[in-house]
This record gives sequence, structure tokens and C-alpha cells, in this order.
Amino acid sequence: MASSGSGYDLSSSTFSPDGRIFQVEYASKAVENAGTALGLKCSNGVVLCVEKPLLNKMLLPSSSRRIHTIDSHSGVAITGFVSDGRQMVNRAREECSNYEETYGTKIPSKVLGERLASYVHYFTLHGSLRPFGTSALVASYDPETKQHSLQMVEPSGVAYTYYGCAAGKGRQPARTELEKLDVHKPETSIDVREGVKQLARIIHLLHEEGKDKPFELEMSWVCEESNWEHKGVPRDYIKEAVEWAKKDIEEEEEFESDEDEEMED
Amino acid sequence: MNQFAYHQQQMQAPMPMSYQHDGKSAETRNLKPGELSTGTTIMAIPFEGGVVLGADSRTSTGTYIANRVSDKLAQLHDHIWCCRSGSAADTQALTDYVRHYLSQLAIETGRAPTVKTAAHLMRRLCYENKDNLMAGVIIGGWDPVEKGSVYNIPLGGTCIKMPFAIGGSGSTYIYGLVDSMYSEGMTEEEAHTCVKKAISHAMARDGSSGGVIRTVVVKESGNAREYVPGNALPFGP
Amino acid sequence: MSEFTNNTVNSVKKPVEETPSGFSFDNIHRNAMIEQMSKQQAASGSNSSYLPQATKTGTTIVGLVYKDGVVLGADTRATGGTEVADKNCEKIHYLAPNIYCCGAGTAADTEKTTELISSQLDLLRMNTEGSQSRVVTACTMLKRMLFRYQGHVSAALVLGGVDVDGPHVYQIYPHGSTAKLSYTTMGSGSLAAMSVFESGYVDGMTEEEGIELVKRAILAGVFNDLGSGSNVDVCVIRNDGTTKMDRGAVQPNDVTPLRNAINRSDKLNMRSGTTAVLKSSFKPHSVGGVTLADVTVTDMET
Repeated sequence: MASSGSGYDLSSSTFSPDGRIFQVEYASKAVENAGTALGLKCSNGVVLCVEKPLLNKMLLPSSSRRIHTIDSHSGVAITGFVSDGRQMVNRAREECSNYEETYGTKIPSKVLGERLASYVHYFTLHGSLRPFGTSALVASYDPETKQHSLQMVEPSGVAYTYYGCAAGKGRQPARTELEKLDVHKPETSIDVREGVKQLARIIHLLHEEGKDKPFELEMSWVCEESNWEHKGVPRDYIKEAVEWAKKDIEEEEEFESDEDEEMED
Repeated sequence: MNQFAYHQQQMQAPMPMSYQHDGKSAETRNLKPGELSTGTTIMAIPFEGGVVLGADSRTSTGTYIANRVSDKLAQLHDHIWCCRSGSAADTQALTDYVRHYLSQLAIETGRAPTVKTAAHLMRRLCYENKDNLMAGVIIGGWDPVEKGSVYNIPLGGTCIKMPFAIGGSGSTYIYGLVDSMYSEGMTEEEAHTCVKKAISHAMARDGSSGGVIRTVVVKESGNAREYVPGNALPFGP
Repeated sequence: MSEFTNNTVNSVKKPVEETPSGFSFDNIHRNAMIEQMSKQQAASGSNSSYLPQATKTGTTIVGLVYKDGVVLGADTRATGGTEVADKNCEKIHYLAPNIYCCGAGTAADTEKTTELISSQLDLLRMNTEGSQSRVVTACTMLKRMLFRYQGHVSAALVLGGVDVDGPHVYQIYPHGSTAKLSYTTMGSGSLAAMSVFESGYVDGMTEEEGIELVKRAILAGVFNDLGSGSNVDVCVIRNDGTTKMDRGAVQPNDVTPLRNAINRSDKLNMRSGTTAVLKSSFKPHSVGGVTLADVTVTDMET
């Protein structure tokens, strides 16, 4: 291990001479190898989506959850070390109930994100602690301002607000696909129903049949349709979205191969 | 026997603490000897787009008026105010705490706190320390969620949102008057007049209320303080 | 051992009575009974009481804002029960160069409270590059401390001073409530003093007018309140930062002429020179060891 860290990677309380904290970077690596998680902020809500690999043929589908409800108006999707993620989920729930107990109102999205990030960051400060090997996508709604928002908390302890974000194995191509949706411009923003379809499409697009493990899609939303509560996307609609996604990908491939043929001419 | 001798403890008579009804109001009965009391009339009425809060200006120790020009209206945040009644020391400490918590919250959230949040914080302090406090407060203010709103936090530490609120020893004299004057959807003008008139009548009948009337009109555009001198009270029909 | 066992038969030796160590709560029950009985007596309208009435410490202290600063005033009587314990005590305490504080109540409490806050203000000034203390800071520190002690620290204060925001006078009650006023009085003589202020105070007085009114207010306490007496102390704090402490500004109870009027016989009143001086000599004082003169002082190196 001397080549990668030269002893500077043994503790998150040690900087390397070029100013890096290897333990935190390794924690990020742990996320990069896990199932892809996507989040999309739409015009009338936020959608979360996780690609959950079916590691075992005998595993009961839907037995391990990657998306958790934090509070009536917010949900978190985790990827990476699921058990680390559950710890974050517990903390997020505590933050929500503590805030409401103290101030009598729902926790603002930004505050939830920041407090969760502070919690994660604490684990990167002490030599006796291990950083979280998890990224968390937070979808939440603030009844006070009537605004919905999407944030991602990373193992380093930062939290940013996004129009669309991705974590896990397929994050790079997924980000490219999310950018193509142009959701950050109000005139090209899409609604959550369209958002669900697009996220399903991106997950299937990145998935290589045969090479990658079979997977299950887990999706949830916080939107007008769910009365701004965090709810799982109805199974029927996920199925519909997946069917549409598969068809769309097929058509795209055909179109591309046609184009290729034309090019040959 | 190298320890505290408690051998006669079970013989102790219960702490002699009598709650006689001696004609004093609920606010003044449980004060510690010599403690200042804002034997008081306070009230708050919301209107379209804001709220009017008002109070008399008398602070007393027993029969002596310790301060005849006191200000029982405390600002908790930009658009949140509080009327104090009960022990002067306790309510001042409480408002200081709530003001502090609200300013911290405003920094963390990056936005102005709501009146509901202010009332909730005050309720928590009043409820959790109810054994050591003598405080009845009314919180009123403006926020983008509820516009003008009023919360009443009486002695036990409960918190109730109200269409209007009156409090303090003088309030008992004017329940009927305020009930007859109040109507839903009052204008700023009407609410302000109503507050001044009601407090005038309470000051006339309640020995522990008096001095001048202090009011504040809280709106999105800002706060307007006003006072009515003791010789120009709108008393009478 | 049953309760019918005859102790004296079995044990001839009487056991030595053991004194329990630690706190003794023996009198709690008795005190509660006395209190209850005196309450009953009070209810029945009788004047005599089982419990002695607690005597209050008396004082007159005042403060007012005038055109160019503040004037504080106090009497100088300290009482212990019905007895005058000190005829010329100081009740105007120093808090900061620009802030003074009059104290009424238990002398030790006012003394130590102002001392403590003065020290905290001093430290605060050192931590804030020597910037001037504000009166509101002193007021907040005092009220926080008094509130924490729930009225058990018996200090009723009139706080006065000048800072960047101008002259200020605050009244602070033992339970920790405060009020900012342009003139105020405290202590058992506060009623007498307030009557002078209420009739004589006007906005924008000159220093002379202010001092005169304060003197009259304190004298009202001195003459009409049993708990107050002796002299009048006056302290002026001006907007330009200068202060004037006038100990014994008025001495209406000066007994020196009375004492001088007493004719003592020459046997008691010996004139100087009665005893002859046979010789006198001077010796330099030395405790031995190193004296300051022996130490070579060198400049500190930087």
C-alpha cells in the first residue's frame, strides 16, 4: 500500500503532503462501486431513483430498502455502504423531529441538508472514526416556503443543492444524460411523471445486460400528486415507465444503427 | 455515623405553602416577596396584513408603583413582538432567551423566523420551567406564511393561536368589552382603536394597570410604535 | 428484642449518647410549627407574633440623567437590625471608569455583586482592545447574575454611566428585572426621594440643577426614612468621560460641633506637649534579604 498512500492513508485525521485526506477519498470510492442513485428536481416535485442490484437469486425483491422516508415531507436515497446509509437516515430522522420539537415547524430543506452534512463531516475529523461510505440524496419539501428541493450529501461531508444529481457506479454517464434533460431551465423543465420515465430510461441505458447484475428499481417522489408527502412511486407507474424506457432505448439504438448504415453510403 | 443525619426527616411537616384566595389576581398571588410584577393589561389583535399589540405601563411591588412608564412590549425579531405579564424578571429573562434563539435560527435558516416558531420557543421555556416561572405572554407578529397572527401563552405554558388575545390582571375587566368590539376582518385603524379603548377601560378598573398605553403596529413594511398619554385615554362611550 | 424486654436488667451500662455528624434537621419540624402558629395568630387579628419580623436594611439611592451626563446619589447609613452599623459607608460603587452603581439591600451582596461585575467588565475591556464599557453591558451582566440567584442575592441597584450612546440610568431589582429610565430611586427611602424627583425633575437640566435635585432627594430619604441617614454622597459622570465623586456632599448630621461643645476637664483632655520628649532617633526600615536597590534592572529584550 506504500504506493497509494505512503502511510498518509491510515487515518482521516492526517493530510497527505499534497493536501489530500486519503481515507475520505477511499470512502468516496466505496460509493463509486455501488448501485447508481439518481435524483431529479422537476417542475412539480422531486423524484429519487436507485438501482438496487439483486445480489442473490434467492433474495426476496424489495427486501432491502435504499430509499427511506425521513419526515412526512422528505425522503433520502442512499447508495454505497447501505448500513452506513441507514445510520445517516436515523440521524436525519432525529434532526427532523428535534427541529420540529424545538421550533414547532418543519425543518427547512437547506437546514436538513446542512445538518446531515455536518454529521457526516464529523466522521472525517477524528482518527478514531471511519468516514461514511455512503452518498445520500435528499428530496424534501418546505411547507413554509412551498418550495421543493434536491440535495446530495457526500462522504466528505459536503451537501449541495441540485436540479439533477447522480451517485454510484454509473454517475458519470448518468450526469451527462441528466444534463441533456435541460431541467435547470424553467422553460424546459419536466413534470414528475415525465421525470420518473426519464430516470428509468437513464438507469436502463447505463445497465449492460449480461455484464451487470440483474437489478430492481426503487423510486419515490415528493410532489404535488403525493400531496407533497414522500411516497413511493406507484408500482404500476414504475412498470409503465420501465416499459417505455426499454422501448425508447431500443428505438434509439435502431435509429443509431440506421444512421451508421447511412454513413456508410 | 459519617453521613447526613436525616433521622427526623419523616417528621417534617409538609412545606407550609398556602394558596389562599386573598383577592389578588392569579399573576400576583405566587410572586416571591419583593418581586416586581407587571400587574398588567396586555392585548393583541391581528388585522389584514399585520397585528396591533398594546399594553399599559405600570410595574408594581405590592402597593408601590416601581415604574410608571415601563415598556411591556418586547421585540423578539424584525416582525415578531411579545406582550409581557407576570413577574418582570421572569418575562424579561424569557424574552431575552427567545430573542437569542430566534436570531440564531434566522442565521441558520437564512430567513426570518415565523411567529409560530417564536410562540413555540416561548411555550417550551414556559412549560418546561413552569414551577419556577410566573409569566403570561402574548406573542404577535407578521410573517409570510400566516400574515398577521397572535398566540397566547398563559401561566401553565400552553400555546394557543387566537383570533385576538388579552392578558394580565386587567384583562378580566374587559372580556365583555373586547368581545363586543371585536369582529373578524378588522382594518388596521379599527384594530388599533380597539386596542387603545380596551386597555383604557382596563386601566380605569384595575388597580395594577395604569400609566400610559403603549402600542406597536407590526406590518411587513415595518413596526410603528405609539403611545397614548395618561391624560388622553380614550375612555368612555 | 421485643418491646417488652426490660432493657435495664440486661444492660446495666447506659450507652453513651452518640452525636450524629453532618447537618442537623432537628429544628425543621419545630420551625414549621412556629410558622404555622404565627400564621394562625396573624389570621385571628392578633398583633403579637411567634416569629420575629425580619428587619430590612434601609437605604436611599437615586440616579438621574441631565444634559451632559448622569448624577448618582446615596445616603451613607448602614444598619444591622435597628442599630446603625456604619454612619458613613459608601453606597456608590465603581464599575468602570465611566460607570458607577448605587446599591441598596444587603451591604455584602451589593458590594460583592458590583465588585464581581466590575472585574468582569475590566476583563471584557482587555479582550476588546480596551474599548469603553457600555452601560447596557453592565446592566445585562448584573441582571443575568441576579436572575440566576432568583432574588436570593439581595441587591437593588441604580446603575448610571455614559458611553458612546450617551448618558444612561437603569434600575435593577434583586430578582433581575431592569428598566431604563431618565430618573429613578431605590431602597427604603425611594418613596421619599421619588416624591422630590416627580415634582422637581425636568428634561435637560444643567449639572448644578441635577446635583441639587439629587441632594434634595437623598435628604428627603435621610430625614423621612428610618433606614436612611447620615450624609449625602454624590457622583457625577459627564459625557466627556470625566467623573466627580463627592463623598459627604451634604453633612446634615455633623456631630463635630456638638462634640467640641462638650467641656472635658483638662485631666481628660491632655494637650500636646504634656509628656516631655526625652530623645528621638530615626532608623531606616529594613526587613533584611534582597531589597529593590540590590537588583540590577536591565531592559527587556525584544
